[in-house]
Amino acid sequence: MTEPGFIRLNVRALFGRSYPRVIGGTRELSWIFFETVLPILSIAAYVFIYKAFLPPNPDQTMLDKVNALVGYVVIGGTMTAFWLNVLWSMASQLYWEKEVGNLQLYMMAPMSRMALLGGMAVGGMFMTSTRALTTLVVGVFIFGIVLTISNPLLILAVFFVTLIALYGMGMMFASLYLLYGREAWNLSALMEEPIFLLSGFYFPVKALGQTVAIGASVIPATLGLDALRQLMFPVSGFGTQFYFFSPELELAVLCVLAAVFLVLAKLSLGYLETLAKREGKLTTRHQ
Amino acid sequence: MFKQAAWLGWEMDSNWTEPGLFLIYSIIKPVAGAFILVLMSFVALFIGTGNPDLGKSAMFAYLFVGNAFFIYVASVLFGCFQVIQSDREWYQTIRYVYMSPINFYTYIVGRAASKVLLATIATAVTLAFGVFALHIDLSMSLWDIPLFLAVMVIGLLCVVAIGLCLAGLSFLTAKHTHGLAEGIPGMFYLFCGVIFPLSVLPGWGQSVGRALPITYWLEAIRRLILPSSQIAQVTTGLEQTDLAGIIALLLISTAFFFLLSILLFRMTEYLARKAGIIDMTTNY
Amino acid sequence: MTYATETRDLTRIFKRKPKRNLLKRKSAKKKENGGPVTALDHVNLTIKEGELFGLLGPNGAGKTTLIKVLCTLLLPTSGSAYVAGFDVSKEVNQIRRKINMVSGGETSGYGLLTTRENIWMFSQFYGIPSKVAKERIDELMHTFGLYDKKNVKVRTLSTGERQKMNMIRGFVTDPEILFLDEPTLGLDVNASRTIREYVMNWVRKREHKTVLLTTHYMMEAEMMCDRVAIIDRGRILALDTPANLKRMIRKESTVQLEVDTLKSTAPIGGIKGIGNFSSKDDIAHGTTNLTIIVEDESAISDIMSAITAQGSRIRSMRKTDPTLEDVFISMVGKGLEE
Repeated sequence: MTEPGFIRLNVRALFGRSYPRVIGGTRELSWIFFETVLPILSIAAYVFIYKAFLPPNPDQTMLDKVNALVGYVVIGGTMTAFWLNVLWSMASQLYWEKEVGNLQLYMMAPMSRMALLGGMAVGGMFMTSTRALTTLVVGVFIFGIVLTISNPLLILAVFFVTLIALYGMGMMFASLYLLYGREAWNLSALMEEPIFLLSGFYFPVKALGQTVAIGASVIPATLGLDALRQLMFPVSGFGTQFYFFSPELELAVLCVLAAVFLVLAKLSLGYLETLAKREGKLTTRHQ
Repeated sequence: MFKQAAWLGWEMDSNWTEPGLFLIYSIIKPVAGAFILVLMSFVALFIGTGNPDLGKSAMFAYLFVGNAFFIYVASVLFGCFQVIQSDREWYQTIRYVYMSPINFYTYIVGRAASKVLLATIATAVTLAFGVFALHIDLSMSLWDIPLFLAVMVIGLLCVVAIGLCLAGLSFLTAKHTHGLAEGIPGMFYLFCGVIFPLSVLPGWGQSVGRALPITYWLEAIRRLILPSSQIAQVTTGLEQTDLAGIIALLLISTAFFFLLSILLFRMTEYLARKAGIIDMTTNY
Repeated sequence: MTYATETRDLTRIFKRKPKRNLLKRKSAKKKENGGPVTALDHVNLTIKEGELFGLLGPNGAGKTTLIKVLCTLLLPTSGSAYVAGFDVSKEVNQIRRKINMVSGGETSGYGLLTTRENIWMFSQFYGIPSKVAKERIDELMHTFGLYDKKNVKVRTLSTGERQKMNMIRGFVTDPEILFLDEPTLGLDVNASRTIREYVMNWVRKREHKTVLLTTHYMMEAEMMCDRVAIIDRGRILALDTPANLKRMIRKESTVQLEVDTLKSTAPIGGIKGIGNFSSKDDIAHGTTNLTIIVEDESAISDIMSAITAQGSRIRSMRKTDPTLEDVFISMVGKGLEE
């Protein structure tokens, strides 16, 4: 049998690694409750924060603004599903693979590490998408947000490019787990909230100030969320006060970020794998 | 056994890095977590009152204190749940611990003890940040300190009891550590008046909140450490009940959850043993 | 000649960090907790293509470290190593397409998947077409007696079944070089035998297939391996065929015979190629028990001739050869289990 070429090998590897995720999801259904019902509770909590700050008899302007914020929370909550998938179901998964002894078998195989991580991401996409969709549907029907889909192609483009950039960033984080164990896991835990903060998952990022928002734009979710909010809520209670750059410009920047993060991911995976092999940590369990 | 389990929990939580780095991490993490609420409150105050002075906002103080003490809830619930999942899936030591003559229930409580300690550090750091950086006004008389400590002990008992319920459930579920760790605290986050008063919820939501001990725990803490003038400005939905009543409700609901945790834990443990899944691995 | 694997002055040193503890001070005896560990010390080893090569050593000798270097999971500290002619430090992708590894006591895979699915998944990491992979898996499952467990979830497999699954995972990619790190660890007799037989046949019946086997079981190394290296504290102490290794320690064979009562033992004493011997008459059973140290095995036929010439019948005969364990103990100074 002739050896498979680079593309065929890695496509097969990607599907191979995604398989356990897909099958696991159909064989153990408790995730449905954890990934659909429970996340809505957190989203609802954030929605109610905004409502709690309203004065006793709010005027229509205030109500419109709070409704806009609720819309931002719902969109942010939708993206949260993907960010958490990146952080916990892809990046830090390598730590657990090391613990159970799979990592050394993966590292020994000729597939690309990005195919391995991509497989994890693709495999988890079903559960993640279910969670994201549930959040969006609940947002529309329970919290009464009104979405405007005037440019569906642009929305889809922004969404997918954001995801690619986000997953590229996640692959970069994943490389840390080749060298480190619990340090990397705790770093992921540490990063979770600041990323929510800097990317404006639950509030408009421009509230952080122009300078901070520009700096935070290096995180793909920042511009992705802003663009999606602009496209889905073209007229909000704030007008365009809290919107950042135009969706088209943000999409262009996201394309660059996606390319940069994917390249950085490849480089960091290679570099940290070599470092881990040099220090003998690639297969060390219970670090 | 409690002591050994607590020691093990502490080792696992703390020995992943140098002590200095661990200290920095223990400070940064809770502060980072609080920042989102700070920003959200800032935006909300800006809209609502045009005056985003967080230090003067009773609602912000209410939210901040609730969020600070909620660290216990999230940390302990996650810790209890994770004991089963990590010992079972990753370290694969659960069978050896389980079949030893120790009381497994006590073992989990012991393991959760380190989470309580770390949560205490995190809560203290968060409160200090609120006081010094955000000018939140906290005050407690010396007479209230024993009462505060008593409320803390009862509250932590109830949190540990809920954690044990979760631990029992985790015997029967696949590895969903993060989904559950985020989701179950989310339930309490929404219904227990953590970051907004109960009165903001619809009627049925308020009824759910009134059945949960964490609601009374946080209410009691707020009444003990926030100035009464600030408490009065927030319509919590529990104004009709005095502090003694709140504490009594806390005691009763804690006792109920404690009994529930024992029953649920025993039942789920039995079901897991019957199905032979105490030491199953489901990692995917 | 291209060797399957080759190492030149291969050295691997691990730095050990002292244990961190937030509450206690660092141990004053830093040397107890820290300090470098030389796992491989200037190892020079060549394994030919088509060889079934054994590596024996006590715990901590460096066997697994050597395998990890050759499997591209660990970089050498100094020296070099080559697998199928490719450098383990620089040409990893070329090596990975040609190798596989199975360890004893492996817990890889996912509990929710079936046996077949798990193996299929690993085959995809080597780019094997699904159809080909499934055919190979089914064939191997039949061979290893695991076919009736193909649709059973991995978490329900017994230890032996799990290890068979691991072995199938190793073979399904049809590697040129297979590294087996104590593959029969903890397995029962039948399971171990199945695995050993398959491994030997796999090497013998296919061209250019090489196996590097590490084991604690002397019998396994003696039975299976063309050559054996003995390693201790990161150094190769001896390397040769099992037979030559046994000869190295100059331990003679011992022959024990139970024969009809001999009239005289003098003829036996005069045979060339024997050392000391002793005899004991058992009058009750009408036998003589002889214990003869044989220096030259060709003397055995002379012994038997000398016995039968006296009209005596040989009722039983037992020959005890020096074992690989004897070799090991003489080299290492302790048993494998010590």
